[in-house]
Amino acid sequence: MSKLQSLKKAVETIADQSTLALGGNVLHRAPMAFVRELARQEKSGLKLVKTAGAHDIDLLCAAGSVATVDAGFVSYETVYGLPPHYRKAVQTGMVKANEHACYTVISALRGASANVPFMPVSGLKYGDLIEHNDYFVVVEDPFTGEPVTLVRSIFPDVAVIHVQQCDEEGNAIIAGPKFEDVLMSRAADRVIITTEQIVSPFQIKQNKDKIDIPAFLVDAVVHVPGGAAPTSCYQKYDVDEQPLRKFLGLKEKQEVAEFIKNYERKDYQQERGTRVW
Amino acid sequence: MVNYRISDLMTCAIADMLEDGETVFHGVSSQMPMVAMHLARKLHAPNLVHLNIPGGVNPGTVKQSSYSSAGADLVEAGESYFPLDQIFDLSMRGKLDVAFLGGVQFDVNGNVNASVIGDYHKPKVRLPGGAGSAVLIPTAKKAIIWRTKHDPRTFVEKVNFVTTRGNLWKIITPLCVFVFKNGKLQLDSIHPHTTLEEVQAQTGFKLIYDEIRYTKEPTARQLQTLRQIDPYDYRSTEF
Repeated sequence: MSKLQSLKKAVETIADQSTLALGGNVLHRAPMAFVRELARQEKSGLKLVKTAGAHDIDLLCAAGSVATVDAGFVSYETVYGLPPHYRKAVQTGMVKANEHACYTVISALRGASANVPFMPVSGLKYGDLIEHNDYFVVVEDPFTGEPVTLVRSIFPDVAVIHVQQCDEEGNAIIAGPKFEDVLMSRAADRVIITTEQIVSPFQIKQNKDKIDIPAFLVDAVVHVPGGAAPTSCYQKYDVDEQPLRKFLGLKEKQEVAEFIKNYERKDYQQERGTRVW
Repeated sequence: MVNYRISDLMTCAIADMLEDGETVFHGVSSQMPMVAMHLARKLHAPNLVHLNIPGGVNPGTVKQSSYSSAGADLVEAGESYFPLDQIFDLSMRGKLDVAFLGGVQFDVNGNVNASVIGDYHKPKVRLPGGAGSAVLIPTAKKAIIWRTKHDPRTFVEKVNFVTTRGNLWKIITPLCVFVFKNGKLQLDSIHPHTTLEEVQAQTGFKLIYDEIRYTKEPTARQLQTLRQIDPYDYRSTEF
């Protein structure tokens, strides 16, 4: 059964206040076309989950779509510097930053994938993160009596993952680093794949040992070549420096809207049935 | 007299902290430790295991990591795949020897702040976050922090927020190396180009030391190897 959907339709299924796990890591393979469409459709109150985010989280904060961010690290890497829109949103109280230790995001998603309410985390023993965040709690290990820190499981409503190859049914192959994407696909209630390339069932069958996300877990497949840009997509394209730098300097809401609009031709190219070069 | 820059000195000093056979991890925005690990592998520590976020074990080159130390190039150049979640698990099991971590504020008691300036829930400045620090500093055998800024706002009497604390091993800056001993951040060595007075003037707490030692200068061999393995000077990205 084909699960191919247009970008617009797939994003229409995302309710306001949803918890979204975003694939990729910092400047790599973030599902940017999907993220831009979330902003175009003016989604609000989104709860974002990721170990380390950058442009994806920053753009949704700029668009005013975000309520909370659960992440261990939010920043572009050294050469691009800090995420101005995320910082502003947190500092003005628009967005609540739920700081994790990267590993605790992983633990919280592992909890969801196994459908348990929390996960014990070894290693998280000291500091103000435990005291200031209600998703961490130190309890007594019932077996040994020793203290153990628990992190509340995070159950994403949807995992949005950009991949290099996927068939129409949703068998998805990630080339290069997979980051937390495979775990996210197991932790989320629904999985939406955006893909550089739609490959034939025959081709997928030839590579079945490389499938990272099997079709039965996937709810929708969206064909968006360039869907991670301006972040990188291994074997397809590298970071697109010019728009990233431009985005970092934007101040007004209107400028952000224009920046997002400028991607429409690329983001919608498959929906019109024509390719843009 | 060998000619070198502060970034060269810091990179070589970091490499000298690493021993052969150790498993060592660096995260994002970590070009300097990444190059230092590669340098150590090329010279005195050929069996050091280089781990990173994308999961490329022992990348044969770091020349492609221009804007990112978490990119696919490290997997492509790597000899096997061992991604972040498994690296964390490794550290929890007590099998990660060294972790490189960042931070923005440090105090004399070894507290690290990478989270906020001001109130946690309504911060004056929201920092990027501690990434893996809060679980890696307590579990890695040695935690090394590098910071390319050394001023009284970075090294303070008391941090604004404790992202994590304890079990630090060393902090290296453009002026000196601190070592965490007996619950206090103590001066380990000062770099040859500076003076105790300058380090004290740029540090917001009273320096603790028993004697003044100088950081070893980079050797000609280290500098030559650096030019080969890091021709585009990623080690200086933060300067």
